Amino acid sequence: MSENRRRILDMLAEGKVSVNEAERLLAAMGESTGDTGFSTAGETAKDERKYLRVVVEPNPDAGPGAEQHRVNIRVPMALIRAGVKLTSLIPSNATTKINEELHKSGVDFDVSNIKPENLNELVDAMKDLEIDVQGGQEGKVRVYFE
Amino acid sequence: MMRPPLFLKMRFRGKHRRFSLWLPLFLIGPLLLVGALILLPLVLLAAIILFPFGWSLTVLMFGPLVLRVLCALRGLQVDIQDGKEQVYISFK
Repeated sequence: MSENRRRILDMLAEGKVSVNEAERLLAAMGESTGDTGFSTAGETAKDERKYLRVVVEPNPDAGPGAEQHRVNIRVPMALIRAGVKLTSLIPSNATTKINEELHKSGVDFDVSNIKPENLNELVDAMKDLEIDVQGGQEGKVRVYFE
Repeated sequence: MMRPPLFLKMRFRGKHRRFSLWLPLFLIGPLLLVGALILLPLVLLAAIILFPFGWSLTVLMFGPLVLRVLCALRGLQVDIQDGKEQVYISFK
């Protein structure tokens, strides 16, 4: 724990500052140093999420004659990132041909604008994704990161 | 550094057929490494030949990226059950 943080917490303990003031001081310190030093349990858990899970569980209320579909898929995040890296193999002249074909199909999109860094950001943002669908004949469907 | 998967377990169960496979990947890995070393001169030659066409980087980076994908397979698990049919694939 840094010296400044300890000083703020000591002031809070002695009652010299209120909780809100201490929080503001800590946040300001975190912005100035670029490192809060703290990480909540949620943030730590988010950084440690290693797998994408897709789970489909059957409806327990379904009749005995109903078909039971059960899906349990676990995909490592490293595999998703490695797949994203494969896009860097596309040579520049190939992207030109791909763009031409896309334009012919009416898709106005430039493949060369896709960069692995952007896709990495997308993968990182997906760590907060959680889909939970309950009910219906299929039972429960969950898509989440762990 | 990511470690490659050591075992592959596959199980397919249909209405009339069953198939199970357990593969020690740690035994196959060295064989693939030897094969890659044997092919390395050919890869370098292909990279030189394809350099004017802009494919040399693709040829050179293909192997390491495929290796990265293979190492990232560790932990992949697919388990799909539909009544009496089942597909199970696991890399450990």
